[in-house]
Amino acid sequence: MRMLGPDTTKRLLDRIVTVPGIRRILLNGQNLPLVVPYGPARGEKNPHSMRKTIKVADSDIDLHVQVGTITLEVEDRTIIEKIRSVSTAFFVDFSCYVQEGRFMKSQPSLVDYAKYGPKADPTMIGLVDPKRKEQPSVIWYSEEQACGWEI
Amino acid sequence: MTRTPQFGPGTSVVAENRRRQMDPSHKLVTLRHVTDDDIVLLLGHRAIGARYPSVHPPIIEQQEPACPMRRLVKPTEGARNGDRVRYIQFADSMYNAPCQPYQRTYAEMYRFRAIDPGTLSGRQIVECRERDLEQYCRLLIETEMFDPTLVSLRGATVHGHSLRLCENGMMFDALQRCILTKDGVVQYVKDQIGIPLDRVVEVGKPLDSDWLKEHSTIFHSLVGTALREDKEYIEYLQRIHSLRTKYGFMPTEV
Repeated sequence: MRMLGPDTTKRLLDRIVTVPGIRRILLNGQNLPLVVPYGPARGEKNPHSMRKTIKVADSDIDLHVQVGTITLEVEDRTIIEKIRSVSTAFFVDFSCYVQEGRFMKSQPSLVDYAKYGPKADPTMIGLVDPKRKEQPSVIWYSEEQACGWEI
Repeated sequence: MTRTPQFGPGTSVVAENRRRQMDPSHKLVTLRHVTDDDIVLLLGHRAIGARYPSVHPPIIEQQEPACPMRRLVKPTEGARNGDRVRYIQFADSMYNAPCQPYQRTYAEMYRFRAIDPGTLSGRQIVECRERDLEQYCRLLIETEMFDPTLVSLRGATVHGHSLRLCENGMMFDALQRCILTKDGVVQYVKDQIGIPLDRVVEVGKPLDSDWLKEHSTIFHSLVGTALREDKEYIEYLQRIHSLRTKYGFMPTEV
């Protein structure tokens, strides 16, 4: 298994978003800081070719990480098999695996309520800090666009 | 009585590689060449062509006390000239890198003089006089102890040794100090602390994965040689563990 570059991430997401029934997508990976965080060069700019803006289904996504894991929230269990078939068909040079489980919060906890209050957006719980200024990307994908892919 | 050092236990290829790197009588194979200026650039401690800053006058100009030990131990070139103490730090991937932090320290202690290594789980720093450091770096970069993709010079922000590799086989580096070009050559574009270089420094092509597996000094049950396959090493480790647990720092065999 390998960590993905931005171009591969884009190509993979292009295929994943065609699968109907995905509610939320979380890209996990190693942080790529904008500036050098430690050492004598602290504060210097950190140009990094893996930190890019990619376009998935007409939506711009700023990659802040080098993607290693993609967590998906799906509507029912049948979608997992579709994701599995897309992933195994996509990764030919190296392996991947698809795990089934609950990897993100499905509802706000008491701590979330205490921290963010009653008006926090429930779709953002467990994904990002609701107080973060940068908003998550919203990907709209219509049935017409999806019909070109073989799933 | 002459004593033949064993350097380390084990019957596996990993153990043999470790012994070979530690044995100062064994000449390590040179796989790539870097110039003196390249090393100065990578280290980032002084400008190319600048004189070595000193922290004390040359020893010959100093009044040394009459000490038998000082007569016995000859100073290194850097110490003789009063150079500053400077460092180089390496991060080694767990995926069959040709060296690893503990091994690095053992090998350097056998091969180099006047060094102060610091060993951590994923990185190893070695400090010594600047002039000596540049000499030692040559061996550490040019020989089989280095691989451009799996070993990396990282003075700070070293994270990546235990992560899976990137798509192109490079070890993850948050500061992307080196890149793999389309020609398949690894180039350093930043020095070891992450400051962009005036010109790139080429450190050669990545080594073949089969070669790396044969020359690795890291046990890895998934991609390389598993520790459990080396019975002698296990026996040695268990003995050390047992003695250490029972007797602390003063082991006594009963």
